[in-house]
Amino acid sequence: MFMIPHRHDAAALDRRGVAWGLVGVAVTLAITFVGSDGLLWFDAALIGYLFGIIFMVFGVIYRYSVWVRRPSTAMLNRRGWDAFRQRKARNAAALPSLVATQLLAQGFIRRRSRARWLAHQLVFWGCILAGLITFPLTMGLLHFESVGQQGDRYQVFVSRVGTMSFDADSVLGWTIYHGLDIAAVLVLAGVFIFLRRRLRDPGALAVERSGDFLALAGLFAVSVTGLFLTVSSIWLEGRFYAALNTLHALTVILGLMYIPFGKLFHIFQRPGNLGVAYYKRANAEGPAAVCRRCGDGFASAQQIADLQAILPQLGFDYDAADGVGSYQDTCPKCRRAQLALAQSARVGGFG
Amino acid sequence: MNVDARYGIDDAPVFVIDQSRCIGCEACVQACMECGTHRGQSLIHLERIDRAATTQTAPMVCMHCEDPTCAQVCPADAIKQTEGGIVQSALKPRCIGCSNCVLACPFGVPKYMAEIDQMMKCDMCTDRTSEGLKPMCASVCPSEALWYGTIDEFRENRTGSLLRDFMFGRQEVRTKVYTVVDELAAGPIDVMRGQAASWLDDPFALESGGT
Repeated sequence: MFMIPHRHDAAALDRRGVAWGLVGVAVTLAITFVGSDGLLWFDAALIGYLFGIIFMVFGVIYRYSVWVRRPSTAMLNRRGWDAFRQRKARNAAALPSLVATQLLAQGFIRRRSRARWLAHQLVFWGCILAGLITFPLTMGLLHFESVGQQGDRYQVFVSRVGTMSFDADSVLGWTIYHGLDIAAVLVLAGVFIFLRRRLRDPGALAVERSGDFLALAGLFAVSVTGLFLTVSSIWLEGRFYAALNTLHALTVILGLMYIPFGKLFHIFQRPGNLGVAYYKRANAEGPAAVCRRCGDGFASAQQIADLQAILPQLGFDYDAADGVGSYQDTCPKCRRAQLALAQSARVGGFG
Repeated sequence: MNVDARYGIDDAPVFVIDQSRCIGCEACVQACMECGTHRGQSLIHLERIDRAATTQTAPMVCMHCEDPTCAQVCPADAIKQTEGGIVQSALKPRCIGCSNCVLACPFGVPKYMAEIDQMMKCDMCTDRTSEGLKPMCASVCPSEALWYGTIDEFRENRTGSLLRDFMFGRQEVRTKVYTVVDELAAGPIDVMRGQAASWLDDPFALESGGT
């Protein structure tokens, strides 16, 4: 139903994107090989998951590389870093708070709706927890060894490095072994809150995109099939485990492969918001652009200059017909007034 | 099928804005808040043309450009256009709140909402128009400055010609939303020209003796 309003949709693969994607794949494989001690701790049963991760890494890097080179994205990327470097110490000091409020606590969603914020937080932390377990396990970076001859005591190894040990029957042990179950419950709770809104809110239904449901369906499938495995092992004496395991692996692999294409790609775009924060702060300290019509300051001169640099690259020419200045030097309020004046002049005036 | 639906797909209704008819009642501003896709937020602009000189006002809705500048300058690729030509509000997961769209839109339409760090804009009441209903603002505008219907209905009930081409300096912009002009022959509306004060300062000749 939706089109992307880009003029430069190329059918051919982007070569630079492919190159960076392949570099990402090579790095992932190298981390897997080295981290798993020459594949010693690599679990061959998880090879399908590794395939999913590799596809995801390639796809995400490819899309990111193409996206970040669009004129407006490239400009903002450059300016964000410029702004950061201008006041390095102050900006570095502000980073933890920015990450905490914008990326982790996501207060901007809470101000839109508490239910949406809760749902997003549940899905967000559920996915992070699941990722922190699944990726290292799949890549052989994380494994467990029993401590000496004690059958109920295990030690966590990150690559070759032994870390904490725990009793399998302890609360900590239960939590570690059910980490993915906890993640699934968090994600499912969030998915149901999101679904409730998507199915009931007429406004949300009207602007629904197929990807909105697909992302929720994917999260649901991964979580439910994962929980089935625990159900099978605890309450069904392992019945159907092999089939359920295959089903779960399939949903996870497809889910990982979907990440570069669908709605979940915003995970990688959203941190750009931090660059915007630095850009805005630097711009607020700089001179203001002055409206060519009313003479008032209306935005940062830097941002207006940046926009006027990218508009020609995008095929727009808002220069004045007499060549003096640009229409883009007009403030939004005066644009609306000018339009009304020009239209009314074509119908013999107002009234 | 919505029983209140007035227009089907084959009717191809259009949105028409005629700023010159605005009487400043602000019904559109209130009605806009009722839109299901952005409940509680009024996204329409009601501009005072020259507050010192006149009470004249003018509404501004999204004109839904065929090649939207806002979408092109969006670094997050957050502004999408439907196959029907509706330029949607920013996709919430993607919008990073940079305000490029707010500053680049030739019609001055998108609004940056600092509270939620997002851009929001008119989406022609997608919840209503997709069901054959008029957009909220057009359904309440008493002077038909904001109007929604078929081109045949327009010709039956209104004067003037429908135009959807604008010049902003050297940039020509074609929109989905129409405006009204007396003569099409004069070409696109040249926004940087035609700036003469064209309001009636004394419409009932009260100040000049009431004759």
